[in-house]
Amino acid sequence: MSQINSNTPMLQMRGITKRFPGVLASDNVDFDVRAGEVHTLLGENGAGKSTLMKILYGLYQQDEGEILLHGKPVRLTSPAHAIAQGIGMIHQHFMLVPTLTVAENVALGLKSSRGPLTDLKTVSRRITRLSKTFGLQVYPDAYIWQLSVGERQRVEIIKALYRDASILILDEPTAVLTPNEVDDIFVIFRKLVRDGRGIIFISHKLQEVLDLSDRITVLRHGRVTGTTTPDKSDRHDLARLMVGREVKLAPDKHQVEPGEPLLVIEDLFVYGDRGKQAVKGLNLKVRSGEILGIAGISGNGQRELAEAIAGLRRPKSGRIMINGHDTTGYKPGQIRKIGLSYVPEERMKDGAIGEFDIKENLILLNHNHNPFCKKGFLCFGEICAHSKRLVREYAVKTPGIDTMTSNLSGGNIQKVIMARELDAEPKVLLASQPTRGVDIGAAEYIHERIAEQRQQGTASIVISEDLDEVMALSDRIAVMFDGQIMGIIERDQATRESIGLLMTGETQAPVETV
Amino acid sequence: MKRSYLYLAAVLSALFLLAPSSILAAGKTLRVAIIAPSARNDLAFTQSIVDGIKAIQKERPIELAITDGTFVVEDAAAAIRDYAKKGFDLVIAHGSQYGGSLKEIAPDFPNTAFAWGTSADTFGLSNVSSYEAASDEGGYVMGVMAAAMSKKGGVGVVGPVEVGAAKLYVDGFVKGAKAQNPKIRAKVNYIGSFSDVALAAEAARALMASGADVLTGTSQMVVGAIGAARAKRVPWFATQANQTELAPEIVVASQVYKWEVVLKKILADLDKGIKGGRKYQINLANGGIVIEFNDGYKLAPKVKELGLKTIAGIKDGSIKTGNK
Amino acid sequence: MADSLAVLIIVSTIASGIRLATPFLLASLGEALGQRSGVLNLGVDGVMLLGAFGAYYTVLQTNNPYYGLLVGIGTGLVLGVFYGFITLNLRAEQGVSGIGIYLFGLGMSDLLFQKFVGTPRPILPFMPLHFPVLSDLPIVGEMLFQHSIIVYIAFGLVPVMSFILYKTTYGLNIRAIGENPEAADSLGVSVMATRYSAIIIGNGLAGLAGAALAIELGIFQQNLTNAMGFIAIALVYFGAWTPTGVMLGSFLFGLVQAIVLQCKTFGVIPRSASDLAAMAPAIITILALVVVAKRFKQPAALTKPYVRGG
Repeated sequence: MSQINSNTPMLQMRGITKRFPGVLASDNVDFDVRAGEVHTLLGENGAGKSTLMKILYGLYQQDEGEILLHGKPVRLTSPAHAIAQGIGMIHQHFMLVPTLTVAENVALGLKSSRGPLTDLKTVSRRITRLSKTFGLQVYPDAYIWQLSVGERQRVEIIKALYRDASILILDEPTAVLTPNEVDDIFVIFRKLVRDGRGIIFISHKLQEVLDLSDRITVLRHGRVTGTTTPDKSDRHDLARLMVGREVKLAPDKHQVEPGEPLLVIEDLFVYGDRGKQAVKGLNLKVRSGEILGIAGISGNGQRELAEAIAGLRRPKSGRIMINGHDTTGYKPGQIRKIGLSYVPEERMKDGAIGEFDIKENLILLNHNHNPFCKKGFLCFGEICAHSKRLVREYAVKTPGIDTMTSNLSGGNIQKVIMARELDAEPKVLLASQPTRGVDIGAAEYIHERIAEQRQQGTASIVISEDLDEVMALSDRIAVMFDGQIMGIIERDQATRESIGLLMTGETQAPVETV
Repeated sequence: MKRSYLYLAAVLSALFLLAPSSILAAGKTLRVAIIAPSARNDLAFTQSIVDGIKAIQKERPIELAITDGTFVVEDAAAAIRDYAKKGFDLVIAHGSQYGGSLKEIAPDFPNTAFAWGTSADTFGLSNVSSYEAASDEGGYVMGVMAAAMSKKGGVGVVGPVEVGAAKLYVDGFVKGAKAQNPKIRAKVNYIGSFSDVALAAEAARALMASGADVLTGTSQMVVGAIGAARAKRVPWFATQANQTELAPEIVVASQVYKWEVVLKKILADLDKGIKGGRKYQINLANGGIVIEFNDGYKLAPKVKELGLKTIAGIKDGSIKTGNK
Repeated sequence: MADSLAVLIIVSTIASGIRLATPFLLASLGEALGQRSGVLNLGVDGVMLLGAFGAYYTVLQTNNPYYGLLVGIGTGLVLGVFYGFITLNLRAEQGVSGIGIYLFGLGMSDLLFQKFVGTPRPILPFMPLHFPVLSDLPIVGEMLFQHSIIVYIAFGLVPVMSFILYKTTYGLNIRAIGENPEAADSLGVSVMATRYSAIIIGNGLAGLAGAALAIELGIFQQNLTNAMGFIAIALVYFGAWTPTGVMLGSFLFGLVQAIVLQCKTFGVIPRSASDLAAMAPAIITILALVVVAKRFKQPAALTKPYVRGG
């Protein structure tokens, strides 16, 4: 990639330590950025990436250690201070005011040339210039609420550039982008470093990290576990540094001959919450022993589709067949009896009850049946035995089955939900965003379980925004856009580019019928 | 046999209950509480009852407790109950809006005497007495004088809500004005609030703009109307208390309530052991209502004479004021 | 003849509506500023009452209504600091603390009045201004150019406020902080300082509203505002948080009140319906609120205390 400058790094963070009550969030971390490079910070949730960056941006103060900018020690006490020092941050959750225009968002917090009066004309002019220089197309007079996610990100970058940021912190900038948008933004990032800036790239998407970075520093439990370069490492090496052990990035899949279609959806129309059509004439077939991945940017009808299959949302028209039964308009309980298991997108809202303990969440489906309930009384002996078995089988890390579910990590809560759902031996498994916000170790485990289910003849649908996940799990990949399936591609013929084009509705592949 | 014992027990206990108040009344300090909706010095409704009890205080020892400004009925109800619990001899709920609360509270404290005004209802309870003012009488007198003073042939009234004492006064005023000048345009504007001072001011302005050149009004919001009248030097007839201080240059006369007249009667009855069940009224004849002229206002002698004649007529019964 | 009478009535009704709208306008402009910065103040009425008493007492002592206005504003500013401390430093729940301020103002203004004044005495009100030529114009003169100075202050503040909100960096800060304080903070705008200033100025305007009321009426008494402050809060929603909207709302409210009064005066509304008619301004406000609430969103960060990283 671009050549590394051997001069003094623009930024050096030395021996940074930050303690929060009960947690050592950052433990003697060294980190530096040179002009003209992209230096990636990689790590799982809670590894200490955000803490380090918040210290750099003046939101937190370190307990120990020092920060040097261009060789000179600085103490960054506030974002304003950090900005003045040439540090710009693009937050994962955009720091934009939706009711203001692009120009107003950029002007916010800046000294105006007209004193107490705003000078939006000057600001707009400079925005236009910046956007031309770096290919960041934005309209200064547009309101933020009118913009797409990609456009909003461009505004964020412009904001930082406008303030002459020489060091840019990019916190998970690709989380909300389509593959093609990612490609575009990477071009811009490269342009920015070529100009002599330094970029700190924060991500957990291994392929992207390898594509963009000049150097990669991996954090685990607040400590640096390694610094490497893309030419010396691959995804497996990075995953090992992140997790601390060997990780399988895709589950082993044995040859399985697909059988009868167990889920058939015909010409399905479903309305969204705001009364607009969210699913528009959708057709799908999923066979026994097959995993169908549904890729797409969220908000294109995936949630409504999942809810319609699970019986949580009444379709307007069309038909849903599960295991040979027409379940259109059935209640969720009836559909589950026919053989559907459902791992919902919102883990803590629809998947589990945070205030319940683990054993209570594990029997949510069948607490009112034999053997857990006899004559209206709960049989705690049976419930405990059952719960202990599932916790063991699904490797849920918990002090015990009486632990309140909300005290577990996201990955472990997801394991509890998977245990409950898969124990019902489903004919059809519907899993929505099964590993979102889950650390790699737990994700690996969940993927293995879904692959195992395939061996047993379950028809599975995995809805995910994470293209790597869809590619790793699926036998076939359906791409959803604007309430419709834009195309279905066999896994071995699918590329990120082909899927990316379908995701934005720019091309349409023939929808094969099984 | 058994029944006669019961009778005896009943009579004995009744005597026992009545004994303290009747025997001890003479020298004892009476404990009286007043609960009223506005400020004790409002130059209007609340001040009138406070002035009344203070007048009696000069003649006999009374321990007086006042809770004023309780325009929230729930607060007033709590205060009424509190005073009854503390063993006050007489609890005066001075506000027609307190009736509902009193009806519920009074039966719980049969040894406490309650007085409620302004009203003519005792709910059939033996420990509740009611008092009211024949405010139509003063209103009538004012109406006669106002009609006589008006040059444009129009008089105006700023009223709160068309109920109770306010309605009585306003109707009396209109009747008096018509009696004096059958062609008079008497405009009444009930603004729908007892306390909206700003609206009262605008109501007065609207009345003046429509040709009323003598005004009156009732309830605590009239201070706004008086201010508006004062700015245009339009004569004002006051009621409930002497409001001369508010606008010495325009207040012609005030209908003043001397509640001590009925309070004295209530206390006298209490001395006899009668805790309630009676209805009292102040009026011109019994001296409970007095028309006080503002000496600072240059009133035409003819008009004043007319007023005095009307007062005499009402007192002797030759003039009927109300609809009763 | 009938025509000129009709014109006369319309003119005096509009003039009356303008007068009635004035205290609402001042109070709701202040409330709008606070809400734009993300702070709800339900205590407007209490601040108005204390401002009204402060102004009344000052004029009583000095006979100068302008001193009264200043004291009214000052009272509001002081209460603004107090309210800012409660809601910004202590991060108290805004609905409850606002009601606390209201009750404090209601009780305290009456207590002070009883203690220092006792019996209501009239004070010197502002006299209607007389502009050369303008005031003598037929129709328009009476409608627009014969009011007291406070009316012009109130309506004059509308463009001033619009200018501050939409044309100055300070206004930009306020609008940003009311929607997304994190974004403003991340760009180095002090959320605390901006909200403090908005609350203080907003309360100052509430104090001015109270002062205007007391001086215009030339009197003070217990609960003089009669819950005007709460109507002012509703008018902020009505006006969709913009100075112009708030002005239209206040004027409409005052105008409906004036029309109802005028109708009653001329007996257009039968006496039996007069209590019902008294509710008209409130009903119209509620109806308008329903319409507005569907179209416009309140500042996203309204009532939410800001904690960095929280």
